[in-house]
Amino acid sequence: MTQQNRLNSGGRITRDSQINFSYNGKSYPGFVGDTLASALLANGVDIVGRSFKYSRPRGIVAAGAEEPNAIMQLGATEETQVPNVRATQQELFNGLVANSTNGWPNVDFDMMETFGKVGGKMMPPGFYYKTFMYPQSMWDTYEKYIRKAAGLGRSPLENDPDRYDHYNQHADIVIVGAGPAGLSAALVAARSGARVIIADEQSEFGGALLHSTELIDGEPADQWVAKVVAELATFSDVLMLPKSTVNGYHDHNFLTIHERCTDHIADRAPKNTSRQRMHRVRTNWVVLATGAHERPLVFANNDVPGSMLASAVSTYINRYAVVPGKQLVLMTTNDNAYSAAFDWKAAGREVVAIVDTRKQGGGVAVTEKAKSLGIKVITGSAVVEAQGSKRVTGVSVAGLNDAGDKVIGAVSQLSCDTVASSGGWSPAIHLSCHTGSRPTWNEDVIGFLPGETVQKQLTAGAINGAFDLASCLAQGTAAGIDAVQNAGLTVAGDSAAASAEQVDVNKPMALFHIPHPKSTSRAPKQFVDLQNDVTAAGIELATLEGFESIEHVKRYTAMGFGTDQGKLGNINGMAIAAKSMNKSIPETGTTIFRPNYTPITFGAIVGRNCGGLFDPERYSSMHQWHLENGALFEDVGNWKRPWYFPQAGETMQQSLERECLAVRESAGVLDASTLGKIDIQGPDAREFLGRVYTNAWAKLGIGKCRYGLMCGEDGMVFDDGVTACLAENHFVMTTTTGGAARVLEWLEIYHQTEWPELDVYFNTVTDHWSTITVTGPNSRKILEQVVDDIDISNEAFKYMDWKAATVQGVPARIFRISFTGELSFEINVQANYGMRIWKAVMEKGAAFNLTPYGTETMHILRAEKGFIIAGQDTDGSVHPYDLGMGWAVSPKKPFSFIGKRGMNREDCVKENRKQLVGITTKDPKVVIPEGAQAVNDPNEPIPMTMLGHVTSSYYSACLGHSIAMAYIRNGHNRMGETIYYPLADGRVVEAQICSPIFLDPKGERQNV
Amino acid sequence: MSDQTNTAAFNYAQTINAMDQRPVSDSGIEGHSPLHHADLAAMAKAQQASTGTVELTELKLRGHIVLRGKLESSAFTQGVESVLGLALPGTLKMVVNGDISIRWISPDEWLVVVPGERTFEIEQALVNAMQGHCAIVNVSGGQTILRLAGSDVQKVLQKSAPIDVHASKFPVGKVVTTVFAKTQAIISRTGDQEWELVIRRSFSDYVWLWLQDCCAEFSLVVRED
Repeated sequence: MTQQNRLNSGGRITRDSQINFSYNGKSYPGFVGDTLASALLANGVDIVGRSFKYSRPRGIVAAGAEEPNAIMQLGATEETQVPNVRATQQELFNGLVANSTNGWPNVDFDMMETFGKVGGKMMPPGFYYKTFMYPQSMWDTYEKYIRKAAGLGRSPLENDPDRYDHYNQHADIVIVGAGPAGLSAALVAARSGARVIIADEQSEFGGALLHSTELIDGEPADQWVAKVVAELATFSDVLMLPKSTVNGYHDHNFLTIHERCTDHIADRAPKNTSRQRMHRVRTNWVVLATGAHERPLVFANNDVPGSMLASAVSTYINRYAVVPGKQLVLMTTNDNAYSAAFDWKAAGREVVAIVDTRKQGGGVAVTEKAKSLGIKVITGSAVVEAQGSKRVTGVSVAGLNDAGDKVIGAVSQLSCDTVASSGGWSPAIHLSCHTGSRPTWNEDVIGFLPGETVQKQLTAGAINGAFDLASCLAQGTAAGIDAVQNAGLTVAGDSAAASAEQVDVNKPMALFHIPHPKSTSRAPKQFVDLQNDVTAAGIELATLEGFESIEHVKRYTAMGFGTDQGKLGNINGMAIAAKSMNKSIPETGTTIFRPNYTPITFGAIVGRNCGGLFDPERYSSMHQWHLENGALFEDVGNWKRPWYFPQAGETMQQSLERECLAVRESAGVLDASTLGKIDIQGPDAREFLGRVYTNAWAKLGIGKCRYGLMCGEDGMVFDDGVTACLAENHFVMTTTTGGAARVLEWLEIYHQTEWPELDVYFNTVTDHWSTITVTGPNSRKILEQVVDDIDISNEAFKYMDWKAATVQGVPARIFRISFTGELSFEINVQANYGMRIWKAVMEKGAAFNLTPYGTETMHILRAEKGFIIAGQDTDGSVHPYDLGMGWAVSPKKPFSFIGKRGMNREDCVKENRKQLVGITTKDPKVVIPEGAQAVNDPNEPIPMTMLGHVTSSYYSACLGHSIAMAYIRNGHNRMGETIYYPLADGRVVEAQICSPIFLDPKGERQNV
Repeated sequence: MSDQTNTAAFNYAQTINAMDQRPVSDSGIEGHSPLHHADLAAMAKAQQASTGTVELTELKLRGHIVLRGKLESSAFTQGVESVLGLALPGTLKMVVNGDISIRWISPDEWLVVVPGERTFEIEQALVNAMQGHCAIVNVSGGQTILRLAGSDVQKVLQKSAPIDVHASKFPVGKVVTTVFAKTQAIISRTGDQEWELVIRRSFSDYVWLWLQDCCAEFSLVVRED
């Protein structure tokens, strides 16, 4: 395979290192320095896709981010698939595998072409809306076709093997774009000692200078670029980010920059190297030097392969040494684009004609140069139509009236295989729009400029409509000086702008849509948005159908909806809509842009927060023991808590029954370290507790513990736990595992905002203490073995007391509180000794069949006693009385408490509220699913009257039957009554309402 | 609110329960630091001869004491200074005197780090030096310190925390409590290329995993305390 369109010299490619790549299963050669697009053009590949609605062949149009057609699926293996990569931005590497994403079954022979016309009629503007409105059932039929024809890539079916990461950056000045303006600004900022980040999405710095033939300070532009880059590299506080797209400009000068670190090297990133990196940048000032996008002109059949942007032609010739055709016709509204023809000529190919839409033609410089090169210039005319299907074969040229909206005179034919067009330049204002700034139309620039901004933002160069090199250099330098000073630094070093020749040009013509001898609706298709097949006729139709807001026109036609987000076609589309409505462009307005500027991979968004690092796992100090002893784990908040400890051959239910019975018959041990623990100190600590808990704390003596319910302002329970009085002004509060952080915040909020006059401090000690709960009738016997120094008899150490003790040589606080209803001791030691004491307890407990148990067993044990779990048996809609826990509310406290008013609202004290009760099933083996709804009459037609749902439900091995906790309307007054649970599988479970305290209602077992 | 507050001074020591939480020194009982399970000592031994651009040391089993109090209270500030020989550092500052350091945490909170075996002695001295409302809390079991030293540490921090760690914004002697990956850390700069992270016990395994992953592109070496 020869690179038939490759020039023998020139360009920024490395000819001595030929590399090979595969496109649609075929191997092609290319060079290091190529993009995938330039290599395809070098090999004469004309067709890179099929259009979305009409299935028309499409070729490469642009050379940058605005490319609408060359959207590729990359990846040599399933796991490295990347969809929707613009071939114009993908650097070529040896072994690159690319496939076109649209065109079915392939781009050269496309089945859809046969259906193309049908498809077109099927999908007029507003297709989706019309389809949804008319028989809805038809959508399924349409959808299959549309999805297949839509022409976007697919996601990989296997996990991405590469690393992606994030990097936090801070700067005085971030410069977006490393063309003449950006580099000039960076030079000033760097020399002044600023912390600078300069990012550019291209593979190397230089922007348009990489294909420019102009001189800077008398030398070729690329030499100036090389010098500037070399100087910037000498500053340690300057970070240069090529291959990095500033994709988002967010509030407070926060920017997200997407760096493609290894996408240019190979299909997979080298080991331990990140493939892509998201820089999260905060900066004092921003300089936007993002340049401009050239606008194509809209004319009939302007989508035939061989139709390109003028600047893209120059880029391919000068930067990549690729001439994408043999005979060129150039149509332009401005002087700037003439260089495409000059470059074409210099490459030794034929320029058929320059068609200048302006009556007076170009300025002296370009006119003279064209003349000297023998290039024919046709003024006051336009290419009204292109011919050809898989490649341009010729164009029709006709005269234009002064306004440019009517064809005058005869139509003549020119033979050519390439038609380049330039309708002028649209400033790349996308990032400025991200911050909410509305762009403003400028008649002289013939484009939208960045509007007023609330950010610390400066702009320089083509984004301001400065399209000549000298102005870009001057504006960049000026912005650099301003940014340095605004950032509070002093300009130092040489701050003079580099110079370039200023050329007199003729005023460009404001022309977007080339008229055709036929009306727009009858002329061959004139494409505005190539990716979505939006035509000039389609936009006119939209306005005729009454869509006047440009935002509505956009959504109705799908203009700018593709992966290119309208970079190429939006301004033309707005101009056409404006013309159709007889309005000016500023009257019509523009749609604006939001992040991201170009599509971004999920990998870069996720960074390292995936796999094992997706979410932190919190471990107690005994975690290693749990692992070694076969625990299965349950997530509680971020904690990994042992769920249960299965032994060989056991089912889950068997494990639970064994663990439960061990606790009831002898002893069990639970790792309770994860419960929240808050150290509370201060002369007002006691008063504070009284305000945040529903019950009274004034008289809790030193050495005593008390259970409390915590409610929100609405009176609804949100957490509970036991608080112990350690000393007169000193308490330790326990919270639920999942609620620890929230409760601490709750206390701080109330302290800091409502009661700052209370002298109290809160400190988390959750991680500081390890808690080992030994429970069961034999727990005291085990404690006797491990406690070194104190009397733990029932007389000396009463229920709901705590005592300081030494456990196996380690100082401890032991709390005699119980969540199982059994005699229980909670041993708290500093976490550094948690494992040691756990092991000691296990060792000494072995003689008593001390059985480790997990959260599931704990749930069953407490349910047998009717103890609630906040968050499982409460859902934010129940107050203490609903729970039957009025005993935990002290309405007579001198100062009110949070929730007191809430739980006395009319709705909270009415009859017939849902109340927490116990449930037993008629068939003792049946365990009602949690969430099941109770009804009075199982034969009532649907929708049945629902009484409330089951919150906790288990089989109790100790009791020999199933038990449940459930809400039943007016349940406290319905003890003994029968209700029914109709289940999703058709079964109906008959059950009886009872007290939720199934075991030991007098509480004798915990009091021995 | 409280009468005690209005009368300003009361004997703090008599209102709280402070206890020595370590076994007696001749018991031979050794504690397990939060990263005990990772066996950093073995890694350090194996990597003795290696050099890294990130050198990690767990400063384990130190005494960590939280101080809460008001700067306006001279009883509080002078009490601390008299015991530690260090004045309470101002906003975002850390001060060090030999093996004792104080980190500023928030306007009314400081973290004192002392040698493990002196924890209760110093805690008790602080408690006894106080008058009026304050709080002194031993949190030694709940956290540990990771020292990171080397030429790539700043990059590790950039990958992990949104705070600006450039020397101009984060000089030696600065401390911040901030986001670290998906957990939090008290980050201080103790040298040009040396940093310390105070992390929560229950999150320490996550931080250790994160740091190893973060350093895949650098060279991580573990050092013995």
